[in-house]
Amino acid sequence: MNALVVENISKTYDDFQAVKSVSFELQEGKLFGLLGPNGAGKTTTMRMIMNIIVPDSGNIYLFGEKFNELHKNQVGYLPEERGLYPKMKLMDHLQFLGEMKGMSPKDAKTIGLRWMDRFGMLDRAKRKVSELSKGLQQKIQFISTIMHEPKLIIMDEPFSGLDPVNAKFLKDILLELKASGTTIILSTHLMDQAEKLCDEICLISNGQIVLQGDIKKVKKDHSLNNVIVEYSGNGDFIKSLPMVKTSDDYGNYIDVQLHDDRSPGELFKELASADLDVRRFEATEASLNQIFIDIVEKK
Amino acid sequence: MNKILTIIKREFMTKFFTKGFLIGTLLSPFIMLGLIFFPALLGDIDQERTNHFHFVDQSGTLASQMNTLFNDTLSDGSPEFQLTEISPATFASDRQRLETALEEDAMDAILVIPENVLSNGKIDFLATSVGGLSVLGKMEGRFQEAINKIRLQDAGLDPDNVEKLTANVDINTLKVGGGEQSEDAFDQQMIMAVVFLFFLYMSSILYGNSVMRGVLEEKTSRIIEVLLSSSNSFQLMMGKIFGVGSLGLAQYLVWMVVGGLGFFIAGSTAPSLLNNISVEPIVFLYFILFYMIGFFQYSSLYAAAGAMSNTQEDAQGLSTPVTFLIIIPFLLSLTLGMQNPDGTISTILSILPFFAPMVMFVRMALVDPPMIEIVLSLVVNVAAIIFFIWLCAKIYRVGVLMYGKRPTVPEMIKWLRYR
Repeated sequence: MNALVVENISKTYDDFQAVKSVSFELQEGKLFGLLGPNGAGKTTTMRMIMNIIVPDSGNIYLFGEKFNELHKNQVGYLPEERGLYPKMKLMDHLQFLGEMKGMSPKDAKTIGLRWMDRFGMLDRAKRKVSELSKGLQQKIQFISTIMHEPKLIIMDEPFSGLDPVNAKFLKDILLELKASGTTIILSTHLMDQAEKLCDEICLISNGQIVLQGDIKKVKKDHSLNNVIVEYSGNGDFIKSLPMVKTSDDYGNYIDVQLHDDRSPGELFKELASADLDVRRFEATEASLNQIFIDIVEKK
Repeated sequence: MNKILTIIKREFMTKFFTKGFLIGTLLSPFIMLGLIFFPALLGDIDQERTNHFHFVDQSGTLASQMNTLFNDTLSDGSPEFQLTEISPATFASDRQRLETALEEDAMDAILVIPENVLSNGKIDFLATSVGGLSVLGKMEGRFQEAINKIRLQDAGLDPDNVEKLTANVDINTLKVGGGEQSEDAFDQQMIMAVVFLFFLYMSSILYGNSVMRGVLEEKTSRIIEVLLSSSNSFQLMMGKIFGVGSLGLAQYLVWMVVGGLGFFIAGSTAPSLLNNISVEPIVFLYFILFYMIGFFQYSSLYAAAGAMSNTQEDAQGLSTPVTFLIIIPFLLSLTLGMQNPDGTISTILSILPFFAPMVMFVRMALVDPPMIEIVLSLVVNVAAIIFFIWLCAKIYRVGVLMYGKRPTVPEMIKWLRYR
């Protein structure tokens, strides 16, 4: 079942078109990455999904129903610009945000405290928000996004500003939630993070989708069919092999691009039969980072 | 609906249980009382002293009467006026010396009654300071009476007879309402109306600004987007307005309980203290009603002003026109509304939005406006509340997510058309 269907949504501010007819579908239990350079329209798209901004045109369906206010309780949203009431105590604040998601005051309190315990900040429950470091405030915001057990979680740049330890902690919890069937959308410009985490990606540039789909397929589609070989001996023959399209030879290191219909395995056989001491053979996949830069720069 | 309640609860709990609010709530009745009674107390203390006056009577008509004219005594029995006569013959040559003595505070004043006092009615009062108004007023009255008598006698009339014939006519103000007549209560009602009006004015400005600061805080702390992911902008704005408004009501409740206890204690220990105080309970109801009408109108505008701002300075600038919408009706109620509560202008103002809360309150407290005007005013103002909340919710919705420069008027009009 589709957790979310976004159908041709557009948004124009005065004379600036922030989002142009964006569509995508998201299966339940998947982790979806919304990628794109700064100002591409990621945040506007997310705000439209949350009905914080109403699209000029297009429709959004959540679990088969047209999105309405009642759905907000089933979604957890972590905006990029995060904020808390500085004068409130952490415990009270979590309780308030939980109640705003339709939890009973009692549930909001116990579950909030349980999460604070898990995040190792139970001893600070009665401290005021303003007494906390930015990183700890982010943890509170993260708890408030997930404490009401939403079926869909939307996070705008969740890793920004987190130290490596906490970034790993956040990643582990996200994967745990995904394993329990929660659908997750996150926007990021950290490509290696997206590459490791996401099942599907959607790349937005200038308000339009320029690339989308299953991450493995995207990477395969954009694979450059490159192979790196490190060797000793006479390797001059490599560049003249018929399967080689282009090459870059350094004497004992060669970067080869094969023709699209040939595979690295064929080159491996060729090398094995030759009188060559191969120390390293690596079929390189294009990184998401590379794809991202290529596509965005091409535009 | 539940979300609005959650927001109201947060507003109330985080603001009510702060030291500042609790102390302010408990202290302000005393500050109010202090402001009313302190100047009066000071005035009383100031008056309690003997005035040393020298006088010279160049007309020769009043000198003999002076001691009987000014025979008042202070509360401790000592005379209020101590008069020393200066001979008219030596006054001209002594004047320099007397004025020096006056400057050295050997006396309080020198009264010079000129030769032609009966015809031009002028008496000079020489002093280093102009002196207390009550003393001057008293002297003026006494001299007036004495000189009038002499003038009447000179014209061949009997002063006693004239006094009888020109006896004052007093208008005794009686307010008729609800079948019973309250005598002498009209003045008190005026005073109570002013006091309540002042509270209306203060709380409209105070709580209106509190709404604005709250909205701005949510915007600058960037929590607004988190809130918008759980509720919509209308719920947020209404929650804020109701939350802060209930804070005001709670404050009034505390004051009423404190005041009620005060009355109860005063009534059982010193009933005479309460003789001068009478408030019809219905005035409290009017007060609450008009507080709410005014609060909704003003605070929705304040909320919009907060949503349009990025900094405190922006907010100050944008809220000034709103503040004027409170100050002008307040001043008009104090002047026009008090003096002529049934006049055409007062009647019109008591129906107009922003003016009605204060002007209609004054009219209802002082006179009984026709029911049709009250109903009309309520209908117009409730409609105005709905309209302004609708308008401000639109501005609020776009404004809270706009960062950067302050919007211009054309931009704001564009906001109203956003989906």
